[in-house]
Amino acid sequence: MTGIGWGVRSLGRHPLRTALSLAGIAVAAAMLLDMVMLSGGLEKSFGDLLLARGYQIRLTPRGTLPFDTEATLDGASRVVAALRRDPAIEAAGAVLGTALYGRSADSLVGLFGYGVDPTAQGLYQVTSGADLTPGDTAGVLLAGPVARLLGVGPGDSVTLIGRLDPQVAMAAVGRRFVVRGVVHWLYDHRGQLSVGAVLPVMQRLARADAADRASLVVIKARDDGAVGSLAARLRREFPELEVSSVADLVAHFKLRLVYFRQLSYILGSMSLIVAVLLIATLLTITVHERLGEIVTLRAIGVSRGTVIRQVLAEGAALTGAGGAIGIGLGLLTARYLDAILTGFPGLPAAFSFFVPRAGTLGTAAAVLFLTGSLAGLYPAWLAARSPIAETLRAEAT
Amino acid sequence: MRIAIAVRGLAALGWTLCVAGFASAQLPGIAVERGLAADLGLGIGDTVRFGTAPDSLRRLAVVSAIYQPRPDPAEISKRQRHVRMHLPDLAAALGAPDRVDRFGVGLRPGLAAESAAAVLRSNAFGYQVHSTRAIASESSQTFLVISRFHRAIAIITIVAGAVFLLCIMLLKVEERRLDAAVMRFIGVRRRTMFGALLLEAALVAVVGSVVGTGMALMAGAATNAYYRRFFDTALTFSHITPRIVIFSVALSLGLGLVAGSLAAWRLVRTRPMVLWGRQ
Repeated sequence: MTGIGWGVRSLGRHPLRTALSLAGIAVAAAMLLDMVMLSGGLEKSFGDLLLARGYQIRLTPRGTLPFDTEATLDGASRVVAALRRDPAIEAAGAVLGTALYGRSADSLVGLFGYGVDPTAQGLYQVTSGADLTPGDTAGVLLAGPVARLLGVGPGDSVTLIGRLDPQVAMAAVGRRFVVRGVVHWLYDHRGQLSVGAVLPVMQRLARADAADRASLVVIKARDDGAVGSLAARLRREFPELEVSSVADLVAHFKLRLVYFRQLSYILGSMSLIVAVLLIATLLTITVHERLGEIVTLRAIGVSRGTVIRQVLAEGAALTGAGGAIGIGLGLLTARYLDAILTGFPGLPAAFSFFVPRAGTLGTAAAVLFLTGSLAGLYPAWLAARSPIAETLRAEAT
Repeated sequence: MRIAIAVRGLAALGWTLCVAGFASAQLPGIAVERGLAADLGLGIGDTVRFGTAPDSLRRLAVVSAIYQPRPDPAEISKRQRHVRMHLPDLAAALGAPDRVDRFGVGLRPGLAAESAAAVLRSNAFGYQVHSTRAIASESSQTFLVISRFHRAIAIITIVAGAVFLLCIMLLKVEERRLDAAVMRFIGVRRRTMFGALLLEAALVAVVGSVVGTGMALMAGAATNAYYRRFFDTALTFSHITPRIVIFSVALSLGLGLVAGSLAAWRLVRTRPMVLWGRQ
């Protein structure tokens, strides 16, 4: 039998001890897996979300991020027209976000309104009904929660009110629209009550039409590889605007959620330390218990290398089995932890903190396996250097 | 909100900010947050140019105060810089005279905020009315989520710690097989051995708890020092209360005793010859 075979078989001699060790390693591995997913999941999830419709660049008022403040940029049509003349740009569209009211029976419901250009939008996907057309000034798109709240669907009519005038106690700007479709707004949080209309209509409702205001402009570059250079060029051409590529936005986002990334590094390291301590302790005690057996093997000609391989194999087998259980446990706990963190108010519903990726999971598994195996180095050294005659004499007495 | 944008725009064009030689007595005063003043090298009496966009910095103001903002956990990750102005000056700068974002309403003593809010809500068309408590509850949602996350992580850590402790206790007691066999051969009672092993487990748990508490206090201090520096704030990030210490020590003692008693029970019920390794 090989040293590896001995190592694996020796674990079966103490089933309770081995089971407890496996449980400890599995929990530590699960925690490590979760923290690896957390550390990389934030940027992956956010980057995927931003690129969901293929728009790689956002233009916002200088010093702001998309929908981070109520600031707007003026002359949106002029900016969009200039961008569309750029041969490196495939599509560009302005978006305005504003507070609105919807009339439901005899009461008013607070809504969030998007003014969009249906031919160039990176904000929604139609789930039922039809999309708006560019000149459709009578149509409106509703989020699912709004359609349910107002009890309407495609083809029905709704009244939207842009501004309430407290002095005369009536709606200052309001009109009826036909629901064209129900859509999924990509950046909405769970249950957000959002509606959409073509940009000029929303500007009128928000009284932002005079200055042609928009909250941001989204841009789709023809060449994914040239996004960085295009963003740099746009910064020079539009110094009054903030030009952010997806990479820039992810960097801002990482800075805001730096706490979670650092926490994941700390807890991941601690999980690794716990797993290593557990394996090293178990193997050291096992080696002490089996010292007589080990030196007997040495006495009949088994090499030191075989003994070392045996002890290291025990560590590797423990780590491998514990890690395998830990993967399942980690994926389960990740779902639980993700459900907690995605409860952040205002966070897009499509966002996820724990994203399993083959690359990072492979790295985590490799690190765990390597460190777990190396944890057997000290007990292996103990086993290999034991004096044969002295130990056998001590065992005999 | 909007003035913060203006200042961020100004920060991006910091070289246009300080203008000397104006009759500052006629200019409006502006209070600048300490961090922003440090970033821009501003002091009391300096004149700054500001506006709602970087290409329209047409207004001037004199720095009349530099203030330390109250620590606000909701703001630290945003890293926004703020200034304060008199309302008419700000409204004029925004081109929106007589417009405000919100009103603060102070009630006479004895009036309930919720009932006053309900009355205002039914009468004030076009306004949203919130009591301070409702706003505090809404704005604390983020921290409730973080708190729930920390609690979930703590539960996983406790499970991992419990398994680790049980494993170590089992190994520690199993190490004593020969000692236990000898004690049984010379007539020591099982109960005495069980008590001795349990005492040993308790001692290990106590020492571990003390060391763990010390490590936690050091880690907490390091966490606070690091994040206070990182976010430039006076907020407390790690707060280890006596209640937390008592809970942790009690938990580890309890777990240690349970793990020790399980391992000791397993040892004392094994026959001495088996412990001695002759059967």
